[in-house]
Order: sequence, then structure tokens, then C-alpha cells
Amino acid sequence: MMRRSNSLIVATAAALMVRSGPAIAHPAEQGFVLLLPTTAYTIAGTLSVFVSMLLMLVLRHGALAQIFKSRPFRIGAPSTKMDLAHLSSLVWTLVLFGLIAIGFAGPTDPQSNLMPLVFWTVFWIAVFIIQGTLFDIWRWINPWRGLAHYLFGDSDGLARLPKWCAAWPAVILFALFQNFLLADVAPNDPPRLAYVISCYWAINFAGVIVFGAKPWLNQVECITVMFNLLSRLRPVTSGRVGMPGWQAVTEAPLDTSRAVFCLLLLAAGSFDGLNETFWWLDQLGINPLEFPGRSAVYWPNLIGLYLILLMLVIIYTFAIGVGIAAVRIVHPQHRLRLSNMFRSFAITLLPIGLGYHFAHYYVTFLVQIRVTLATLADPFALGWNLFGLNAVKVTTGFLAQPDTVKMIWLTQASAVVLSHVWAVLLGHRVAEQHCETARDVIMLQVGVSILMIFYTIFGLWLLASPKGG
Amino acid sequence: MTIKTTKNAVSRRKALLGLGVGAGALATSGLMPGAMGFAQAQSSAPIKIGFQKHATGIGAAYGRWYDATTTAAIQRINDSGGINGRPVEIVTEDDGTDPSRGAEALEKFEKLHSCDVAFGTLFSHVVIGSAPRAAELKLPYFVVSEGHHVASGMLNRYTLQPGITDVKSQVVSMAPFIANNLGKKVTMIFPDFAFGHDHRDFFTQAIEAQGGEVVAKIAIPPTETSFTRYFPSIPRETEVIYHVMVGPAVLTFVKEMGEFFGPSRPELFGFIDSLEAVGIDSPGLEFLESTYFWEGMPRHVQDNQSEAEKTYRAAVGCDDRGASLDDPADVSTYAHMFGCWETLNVIKAGMEAADYQGPQDRTKLIEAVEAMSDMPESLDHPQGAKRFNGKTHQVFGQQFISKVTEGKMVVEHVATIEDGLYEDEVDYTTQSF
Repeated sequence: MMRRSNSLIVATAAALMVRSGPAIAHPAEQGFVLLLPTTAYTIAGTLSVFVSMLLMLVLRHGALAQIFKSRPFRIGAPSTKMDLAHLSSLVWTLVLFGLIAIGFAGPTDPQSNLMPLVFWTVFWIAVFIIQGTLFDIWRWINPWRGLAHYLFGDSDGLARLPKWCAAWPAVILFALFQNFLLADVAPNDPPRLAYVISCYWAINFAGVIVFGAKPWLNQVECITVMFNLLSRLRPVTSGRVGMPGWQAVTEAPLDTSRAVFCLLLLAAGSFDGLNETFWWLDQLGINPLEFPGRSAVYWPNLIGLYLILLMLVIIYTFAIGVGIAAVRIVHPQHRLRLSNMFRSFAITLLPIGLGYHFAHYYVTFLVQIRVTLATLADPFALGWNLFGLNAVKVTTGFLAQPDTVKMIWLTQASAVVLSHVWAVLLGHRVAEQHCETARDVIMLQVGVSILMIFYTIFGLWLLASPKGG
Repeated sequence: MTIKTTKNAVSRRKALLGLGVGAGALATSGLMPGAMGFAQAQSSAPIKIGFQKHATGIGAAYGRWYDATTTAAIQRINDSGGINGRPVEIVTEDDGTDPSRGAEALEKFEKLHSCDVAFGTLFSHVVIGSAPRAAELKLPYFVVSEGHHVASGMLNRYTLQPGITDVKSQVVSMAPFIANNLGKKVTMIFPDFAFGHDHRDFFTQAIEAQGGEVVAKIAIPPTETSFTRYFPSIPRETEVIYHVMVGPAVLTFVKEMGEFFGPSRPELFGFIDSLEAVGIDSPGLEFLESTYFWEGMPRHVQDNQSEAEKTYRAAVGCDDRGASLDDPADVSTYAHMFGCWETLNVIKAGMEAADYQGPQDRTKLIEAVEAMSDMPESLDHPQGAKRFNGKTHQVFGQQFISKVTEGKMVVEHVATIEDGLYEDEVDYTTQSF
């Protein structure tokens, strides 16, 4: 039996294939990455994070409090009696329904169907990044909020969501979403995705009807919970402006469920990169050059995700514990509670999740956004040319040139490194809030700092690793 | 608990009921996958060809160019009146380059889309995973996979490969040129899995038949990313290195081989599969200058370019160097994708010969294709003349050996159809439908 050759193109295309969203990436890209001095870059990146830690040492106690101060911020938008956010949300509900209809009845090729393209490229990549950096886009496109507002006004729900459940339902739903993203056999299949999204929308809308929009969306609907957490990283949020992450540190600690949510986000992002590497596939006994398809790795991906989550929770808790113990050595009377520190530092991991998200999906986005735009020209495959978008050509030549590949890789690596430096800053500020002396601040971060160093190396190794599958 | 209501508020209970009714309607309408009732295949105006596309997964980069070629071929067929006076429609389903999804795609072609035939699969494991389902569904399945699995007899009467040659034929046909022009003592460097083993086995046999010998077989683990330590195993007596390295580390392989040998090296012969869709003038590949490659179809325009090749190249949107007309850096999978174009023309010819009217004529279609033999070079077959073996369901054709000359792939030798023939391993025509 002759196997179809698995050429450079195949293996590297697969490497760039985000499990959730297909990338038509260029084959040469990863070949060029392997020729880059990525070890030197990794050392440089890790040193940058280390230097940022050293800089923290020389800061006077409480200095970061000034840096993370926020001040009121108002955009001079024309005032109107209409609640534009609710109206926009309602419009986006209709857009979602339209996309679902296209998913069910539109082109069967996921690369020509707006449902998977918009969901995995525009929503899961672009909206995610915008929400964590620019503005509260979710408020404008949330597909439940506006509809619930116009249907039910401010009436109370039929039942009340118990407070004790906090955001745990959202943690469970988000884990299920990650199952779909990482392990499902065909998350790109238009009817399949349309079905999953309509079920998700309907279940959550039922929840909104029964329990009311605010409690349900803030405790159960995982995308809203995730975006609310990401919002805390933006410079401009809640009508105030400050150093990115000012709200995250101001409002720390989180409750336990949201703290675990942050860890889940980071774990899922990390595993999304890890499960494509030669190393991981080698552990599974799978030849990355003849990857047998997603159906062959359903269980390994499912188990891998939860294994990584479990490992991250254990290592993170241990790192926090080391910090608390270190403070106790210096100041035996200063007793910090593990659960409180666990919840306080968790949000400082979120920038890393954001950085990984950007780095992991960057190449996919650059290619798939063109596919999305080109498809927008003719959403129903009827030969239309809406907005003249037919002119958008999907080509990937920029990934076949070593110079652009290098630039792209360095952009990704910078995102990873900067996200860690950002996390170091947030961590330092959180530590300040719990310690009275500069020395305690350092001690409290001993474990977390070591974790950050290793995570930086891990993140850059992921970027540099050959990938398949 | 107090329940507040505003004047314009809709009753939440009624809304909940409405949502339930909506979900029920959705379920009964057949839109939910679990409740999906496949429509019965029925004859309709256009002839429907199910395109099993590697839109996602490991084969996606190939899938993109296979798609472009398929679209161009269908446009040409429709522009010239379709098949038996009926327009042709392509129905695309993504198989995720996954065997289990491949079989599902065939199921959808048959039961959901009422396709007449299925077509287009490239990856062997998807072909092998799908073919049994094609036979169960009695759906003619035209693959463009290059694998030897069709001619080896492991598949069935419903699976045919009439548009692209298989690897065994390609490898076998290279041996005479290598032995007569490059050298008789060959060292093979290949990845240590089925793909590499097939090259090793087929070529060893073929070169021995030419009076040559394989002096060393260097198997490289598939996850290897550095190759320097393997090169000292190349025997000094080696006259030719036959390399079929694949995967993301190919560029590293070439670079390190260049560093190892410097200016004095044995002759090098490789398969373009290693560098399909990669510019041969890419930085780091300079060492490949003056080396030889097998090509299924010459990527770069040759001096003696035929009119058919010229027209085909323009139709699939490629420039003189086999790159996208929209982006000269975006190199196509030129050595393989002609298979889609030619297969669709064989389907057309077969349907016309069988006077195909609908699914009831599928066996007539298969018999008509089985009856085919020589196909002359033409716009239907721009890669060159073909000879179809109805018994093995496999086509044979000429192969190209190109030499990298100042960054251009210049055809040095054309292996004839006869060079690539081998003994039949199966006779599918003896199998019943």
C-alpha cells in the first residue's frame, strides 16, 4: 500500500491548522521558522521577563499603586434617548440567526460558508482580542441582551439563580466549549456548527427567560463571563482609563469560580498549542507526517485538556503556596490565606491567556480574514459580488518568504513575552496589596515568578516547535 | 419573590413556550443533525459531482488548489455544453482529511445531495477509509490520490483512479534515467514510515532491474528536525542520493546537506512532493541548483509548452512559475492538481460513452471507464497522453525529470508511459457490482 506523500506543504499546513478554524496557510512558513535562531530568541525573551522581575525589585513599595490608578474617561458621543447598545445587540441577534441559516442551508464547504468563518475567525479571534484590549464590543453584539431587554423590559425572572453557584456553571460550559473546539471531529462543518450554536443560543435564552438576563449572562453564559474577565485588562473600562489591567488589580481577588475560569482559559490556550506539536503527537505514538485526522485524537485531546488544566491548577497553587511560605519565613506573623492568594493572583494570568490567543491565531487570522471577506461577497454562493468584495484574493505568498515569516514569528513571540511582562506587573501590584514591606512583596511572588519564567519558555517553545496533526 | 412586570413586557412563560415550540419545529424540519432525514436521491437537471475536499486538516493546502483546479475544469465543461447536454454542479463536502469523515462525506453525497458520482480525494488514508462505503452505496468514486492502493487491489470496483498515475509507476519509471545518467550506486534517504518504505521498496527493485544497486538505505525518524548526524552514513562510493524527505524540516534537511557536502557532492535526485507549493528559488534551497526532481507536471513553463498546457495553466490561475496569478509568491501544487482536471474530463467522457442519465446508469459509467485505454494529449489531458488500465482501475502516463537550472525547473527527461508500467496486481472487472 502506498501512502500519499506527506510533503512539506502538508505537514506545515497542518501545523498552522487551528483545530477550530481551518487555515490555508503556506507550507514554507514552518520550514522557515525551523531555520530561525529560535533558541536565541527564546533565551532573549525569557531574559526580558526576568529583567522585568528584577526591575520590580528596585521599585519602592507602593509605586505601582500610582501606575495602576485610573481616572474617569468619557467619550464625547452624542447623547440619545435610545439605548444603542441594546438596539445593536438586537440587530446582532438577527445577524446570528442569519449566520445560523447560512450554516444550515448555505455552502457545505466550510471555507465558503460564513457561519464557521465568522464564528472562528471574526468572533473567536478578533472579537476576543478587541474585548481584551480596545473596548467592550461584547456589549454591542451580545445576542441575548438586546432581545431580552425589548421582550421583558426590567421584569424579574421566574426564578432566582442561587448565589452559591457563582460562575461555576460558566466554568462548566466553557470547558464544554473547549471540548468542542479542541476535540470535536468537525467543529468547522457548517450545519454542525450552526446546530451547536443554535442549541447554545436557545439554552441560554431559556435561562435568560427563567432567571433574567443579568444573573444568567453573568454567571452561566460562558462567553459573557469570559469577556467580562477580559474587560478588566483593557485600559478603558467601566468609564475609566488607566494602565492596562488597572481594573483587574483593583478588583482582585476574584471569586473562586472566576479564578478557576482564568486558569481554564490559560490551560485551554496552552493545550491548543501543545496538541499540535511533534512532541505531543510523539507521546501519542502518532506520526505527525501522516496525521490520521481529528477522529483519531478525540480522547487524547479531551483527556489532554483536563490533564493540562489539572496540572496548571496544581502547579499554580503550589507556586502560590511557596510565596506564602516565603513570606512567613521573613515575617512569621504575616499569615496570608492560600485561598485568598489563589483568587487574587489568578487574574494576573489572564494577560498570558490573551497573549497566547493572539500568538496562536495570528497566522490563521491573517489568512482566514481574507477568506471571510471574499465569502462575504457571496454568502449564499449565488454568484453575487456584495460590496465589491470579490476583489479580495486569498493568497498566502507572504508566508512563503523568510523575511515576512521572521517578522510574523517575532510578532507572535513579542506578544507572548509582553503578556508575561504584563502579568509580572499585575502580579507585583496584587502582591503589594497584601504586603506591607517591599521584601514581603518579593517573597510572595517567588513561586509565581518561577512559574512565569517557565511559562515564558514554554510559550516560546510552542511557537518554535515543529507541528503536525 | 416579587415579580415585577412592565407594560410592554412579554410574559416570560409564553416566551419559554415559544422557544420550546421553535426548537421542536427545528427538530422536525430535519435541520438538526440527529434528526436529519436524508432526501432520497432523485434525478435532477444538473449532473452532480460530489467533491470530497480536504478543506481542513492535514491536506488543506492541497485541498485549496484541488478546489481551484476543479472549479476551472467544471467551468470549462459547462462552457462547452456540460455532460450529455446537462450542466454539471460540484457539491463540496469537507472530509477534514480524516477517514471517518471521508466515509460520511460519501454518505452525504449519496443521501443528502443526490450526487451522481464522488470525486477528488487525495490522501491515501481517506481514500482507504472511504472506498468501502462507496461500494456499499454503489457510488462511483473517482480518486486523485496518487496512491498505489487502487492498483494494488485493496479497494473495489466502484473506486477508480483515471486522472493521476500512482507512486509505484512514478518511482519505477525514474530508475532508467537515474541508472543511465546519474549513476548506478544509489543511497536512499527517506522518512521511516510507510511513505518512505514504499519508495525504498519500489525503487530498490527498479534500480536493480537497471543494473544498479542501492548501497545504503538511511531511514530518518519522522519527527527528526536535524539531519547532520545521518550524513556520515552515506557511503563514499555513492554516485546518487535519492531523497524523499517530507515535513516541515525539509528546508533544514537541504540546508544541512549543503553544509555537509559543500561544493563536491554526488548527484541528487528527489521527488517534488518534498517541495510542492514551495518556491524552488526560496532562500536556503540554493544547494538544490543542478539537482534533479521528479515532477508530475512541470511547474515552470518549458520552451516546448503545448497549447493545451498553456490554456490549462491560465484556466487554473497559475503564472509561468506555477504560482498564483494574484501572488507570485503563492506557489501551487502544480505537480499533482492536474489530476482533478483530467479526472473530471474522464468522468465526462465516461458519462457520454455510457449515455449516462442518472444513478441507474452508474454501473454503465464504470464499465465505460473500464473500457477506456489510450487517451491522447489534449486540453482534456494537458499533462500528456494517458493509458488507462480497466482491470486495475489505474491510469498510466508520462513522468517528468527536471533539473534545477538557475532557479528554474527545466525538464531534462520525459519518462514514457511504458517506463512506468508494471504487472497487474488485480482485475476489478471480475468483481460483481
